[in-house]
Amino acid sequence: MLASILASGLAVGAVYALIGISYNTMFSTSRVMSFTAGQVGMLGGVLGSLFILRLGLPPLLGLVLTLASCALLGVVTEFVAVRPVLKSLDQHLYVLSTLAVALLVQNLTALEWSTEPQPFPALLRFDEGIWDEKYWLPILACAATVCGLEFLYRRTLVGRAFVAIAQDNFAARALGLPERNLRIASYALAGAIGGLAGFAGGQLLLAFFANGPLLNFYGFVPVALGGLGNNRGTVIGGIGLGLFQQAANFLVGGIFSSVAVFALFIVILLAAPQGLFGAQAARRV
Amino acid sequence: MSATEHSSAVTITSLPSTPSVLSQLWPFLALLSLALALPLSGNDYWALIATRAAIYWVLVSGLNLIVGFAGQLAIGYVALLAIGAYTSSVLAAGNVLPPVPAFLALGAAGVVGAVFGVVVGLPALRLRTFYFAMTTLGFATIVTQIALAWQDVTGGGIGIAGPQLPAPLNTAWGFYFFCLAVAAVCTWITGNIARSRFGRALVAVRDAEVAAEASGISKPRLLVAVFILAGALSAIAGGLFASLQSYITPDAFTFDLSLLFFIAVLIGGRGSILGPLLGTIVLTLLPELAAPLAAWSTFLYAALLLVIVLAIPGGIAALLDVRSRRPLPDKRAILPKLAALEALIGRPKVSGVLSLRGVVLSFGGVRAIDGLDLDVRPAEVHGLIGPNGSGKTTTLNVISGFYTPDEGTVTLGQEALPAGVPESRIRRGIARTYQTPRLIGEASVLQNVMVGATVDGRASFLEALLSLPRHRRDEALMEKRAELALAAVGLGALAHVRADRLQHSELRFMEIARALMAHPAFLLLDEPAAGLSTGEIKRLGELVRAISRQGTGVLLVEHHADLIFDICDQVTVLNLGRILAGGTPAEIRVHREVVSAYLGS
Amino acid sequence: MQIKRRGLLLGGTGLATASTFGLARPAIAQSEPIRIGWLAALTGPSSAPAIGFNRGVLFAADALNAAGGVKGRKIEIVTRDTQGDPTKAVNATQEMISQLKVNAIWGPTNSGESLAVTAIMARANMPNIHPCVVDSLIDPKRYPNAFRIAPSSTQWDDAVRGYALNIAKAKKVAVIGDTTGYGVSAATASAAAFKKAGADVVYKTTIDATQSDMTPDMLRARNAGAEAIIVWSVSTGMIGRLLNTRAKMAWDVPFIGHPSLASGEIAQLLDKPENWKKVYAVGYRSCSYDASGKLPPHSEELVANLAGKVNLQDTLLWWVACGVDAVNLIADAVNATGSTAHEAIITHWNGLTNWPGYFGTYTCSATNHDGYPEQDVVMSDASSGRNGTFALAPGYE
Repeated sequence: MLASILASGLAVGAVYALIGISYNTMFSTSRVMSFTAGQVGMLGGVLGSLFILRLGLPPLLGLVLTLASCALLGVVTEFVAVRPVLKSLDQHLYVLSTLAVALLVQNLTALEWSTEPQPFPALLRFDEGIWDEKYWLPILACAATVCGLEFLYRRTLVGRAFVAIAQDNFAARALGLPERNLRIASYALAGAIGGLAGFAGGQLLLAFFANGPLLNFYGFVPVALGGLGNNRGTVIGGIGLGLFQQAANFLVGGIFSSVAVFALFIVILLAAPQGLFGAQAARRV
Repeated sequence: MSATEHSSAVTITSLPSTPSVLSQLWPFLALLSLALALPLSGNDYWALIATRAAIYWVLVSGLNLIVGFAGQLAIGYVALLAIGAYTSSVLAAGNVLPPVPAFLALGAAGVVGAVFGVVVGLPALRLRTFYFAMTTLGFATIVTQIALAWQDVTGGGIGIAGPQLPAPLNTAWGFYFFCLAVAAVCTWITGNIARSRFGRALVAVRDAEVAAEASGISKPRLLVAVFILAGALSAIAGGLFASLQSYITPDAFTFDLSLLFFIAVLIGGRGSILGPLLGTIVLTLLPELAAPLAAWSTFLYAALLLVIVLAIPGGIAALLDVRSRRPLPDKRAILPKLAALEALIGRPKVSGVLSLRGVVLSFGGVRAIDGLDLDVRPAEVHGLIGPNGSGKTTTLNVISGFYTPDEGTVTLGQEALPAGVPESRIRRGIARTYQTPRLIGEASVLQNVMVGATVDGRASFLEALLSLPRHRRDEALMEKRAELALAAVGLGALAHVRADRLQHSELRFMEIARALMAHPAFLLLDEPAAGLSTGEIKRLGELVRAISRQGTGVLLVEHHADLIFDICDQVTVLNLGRILAGGTPAEIRVHREVVSAYLGS
Repeated sequence: MQIKRRGLLLGGTGLATASTFGLARPAIAQSEPIRIGWLAALTGPSSAPAIGFNRGVLFAADALNAAGGVKGRKIEIVTRDTQGDPTKAVNATQEMISQLKVNAIWGPTNSGESLAVTAIMARANMPNIHPCVVDSLIDPKRYPNAFRIAPSSTQWDDAVRGYALNIAKAKKVAVIGDTTGYGVSAATASAAAFKKAGADVVYKTTIDATQSDMTPDMLRARNAGAEAIIVWSVSTGMIGRLLNTRAKMAWDVPFIGHPSLASGEIAQLLDKPENWKKVYAVGYRSCSYDASGKLPPHSEELVANLAGKVNLQDTLLWWVACGVDAVNLIADAVNATGSTAHEAIITHWNGLTNWPGYFGTYTCSATNHDGYPEQDVVMSDASSGRNGTFALAPGYE
């Protein structure tokens, strides 16, 4: 039973962590928390199922198309819901514009795809108990993403520009970094990461339109716990949340497990508003 | 003085005057007459829809203060609707206690709602916007889950019958009139709050939090009061909702409903009562008129939200605000009326010296202030100059309590000023302005200035809610003083213009007017001359001198050396957080290091 | 993509509106159309039943109108999509009563909505038939206007319990519901009834339908020694995951419960088709085929009539049959009494005795508005679906 908690806890935790990283990636260049993070995750599952099961494409091509579509959605979000409201960040209009885009995506999926959960294809047909691919695919995807991002941020020029923008927007612009292009790129990247989360977790979560708000919330929890913009904290927070949730499912079950997660989330947030692993507080005056 | 008379003669005709009471009230009266005429349709269906709109408005009117005024994005307010609906239904049905009459159950729902309003709202005091939005969503889920699980009391998934009001309120139209009356009362009381110092303070917390704190506004107390009110109203709306539905199950409290409330406020427009009222009516009616589009309803809501955020962020209220679209005259001069200062400031009561001793403050290893001693005396203009990063503004922030020094003390007379409590400064007579003007763009100039007198209000939140005499006296007094303050700084003609339409230089004078509202013993000015024309700088200098002649000590952070040397009695020069030089302007002018460092060439 | 259903649905709505606006204009009351209000959750989650009912409703209305209507009066279906939202259902009900002035209402189709509108219809004494299962919806004293032509929750529960105890011979059962209003209350009621019948409820839980891994609950059920899993949920995703988990655990415990266990949506969610074996869902005699593959004669007649007009492949026959019966019951009342007055219709239904519908043979009286015959509720083999009908579960003759 412990093995089962660990396997599925780590797996859903990895999905949550990826969504959290998607939040962070968008935040780093725009200072915006976008409600579309969860919807992109949902689309990762739905599009994967659409391309591979319905249209019968090979899995690898399906994956590429899914990530490309999700990246495109990220770019659309940047154009439609982020750029127009950036100049008035303190009015928090981004909460509304990204919520609107998220709802449009979700309802369109409900209308055009299905309101019932649809199957997600087995990719490698490797299913032996807790070594089932549906458990380790998300973990693999999460590990690959984290390593990829580390490489990007440390070893490449574009990545360093990302880091520069994330640390000091004004200074970076003063240095002549193409802030706008980097922001678009980060939204594309965030879309692809979210899509990968949904794709890798497709067999666990199924291709279901209502996964969006769920991932939105459960992907946000690790961000809040780990500290905004802190990817390592987010991964730890995500894995922790996944394990806690699975353990709660085992121990108290059903209704009370979601209440337990919400309660824990609110208590931790109130105790440590900057997250357990810290993010710097903004100067106010 | 002749210049002032000149200005009033030219400009007043073309600038907005005090809006008349009728011009503000007629839309509400028109809506009320329509609502009263509705029974002529004789159609119970319209009674139902109109009752629903009235009930939703009871909730939205309270939520409006939270979202539209205080700017807290409470998305999951359906939680409070559910709490109210279940409380009143459970009490009326007698599942826990012996059954109670419907009105008592509604009242009890209001009380429970007030408590939970605070519980749902408390995270707002500690968390950032998006975080708070997420926690309200979390609460909405928890409430539904608990309603499901607690079957003995709530009936679980089977639900529970709503409370039935006694005759004659148990018919469609009887109930309609009752809900209409409740909605009208809600419009009145939330309107009272909106127009009171509490309403202005809420908007100040939203748009200019720093200035709000320096004006003595305590965000926690203010928000808790509003959360109590909104929680109670939402829960009463929940009780009425349960009556209207006749039967409630957890399914009834959908996220879509929560969204409807939230969006109603936003398409209505922030900081307005009429806008969200119209928004509520539109969103309640829309699905009825577009029944064939039922499947697309949420999609359309979302599209509407996006269009409004992008195209008219001000919502319906901004569309209706014709006055603010009329052009202002281009050539208008700021002509302070120094004679008004006497009546405005009087003689400040608190006297004594404002002293800093050995203040040290570091930001991550960098010593922004490094052992600063400073004395600002009453009736004296004290200049604080130095290059960028020398610690000038940081010093102001330490004095006004935004920063806690690592070492050293700030005292006023004999009394030490507590660090980290900016809202305590105004009561000790310390007011200030900011490098970037902190304004409430959507409020009028007059309202912006009235924020400065928030601590003068004597009437409680409850008195303001019911517009009792003491509150009305408060308001009349504050308005008179604000007009006086605007006249004193030379903005009298612009009192009823939206603040975000002012020029930069005008905003600087507006901030001074706001600071003067508090009879300040000390006034901290942070680069007030930045962006001003030569003529304006001259008038600013005269104004500052005149203020100090009233007995107010002024600490002036400035880059304009001419202004400093013209009007200061004392000048302190900072460099890297330390005092480089101090003395009279004449002494500083010849100080060798100062001259070589900044004044030279 | 999934255009099939929605395409049909939109076509259907179009048809209904066409008859709304096209046919109704004669001035004389006696030739005015008979207006039937149809409260359907046609879109949104849990819309599958209403989509099935809708096909039956439209088919029956067209058939009646093609035959010249009822006493020369056309049938007019007035549809409102409630999306399963009680609030929308309340609005639509009042609109039908006060604005559209319908003669009778069929629906709503799920219990949450029905609970909200039943009292409103009772106040207007609006003749109402619905297929919602919650027992308290039918109460001839409080709601003399409301009739049910589908089984009640208790009838479903009895069938499931009877099968689990008497045919599957399970003494220890695990009861699982989802966290929706229906799932929670059905699981609670079911567990209580099992205990009352002397069975041992070794495990009872409610599961969030979006929970990605059902292993915890299944493990606990097995460790508790369950000999049958009783499922009360309309969530096909959750059912699919439960069945896959059972297969993974190599546990051959039978699943017995809600009709959704037999939903066609489940087939695609299963890792292997055989994961659907030993699953028994509530079914109906009229819609079950025997060993030779034959339906009861009356149902065969319906299927023959539907052929080419109504697609049965992605829905259930009982939904369609029930929709047909609802329209016919209203038409029959007008035909028999010559009146569309509320009281006349209700009085007529109070006298129904063995009225031969396609879905069931209904009997009502002034004190009994539960028209569906209890003995017609049976258990089906969940994986035997064929054109919306099922084979009887093993153990029935």
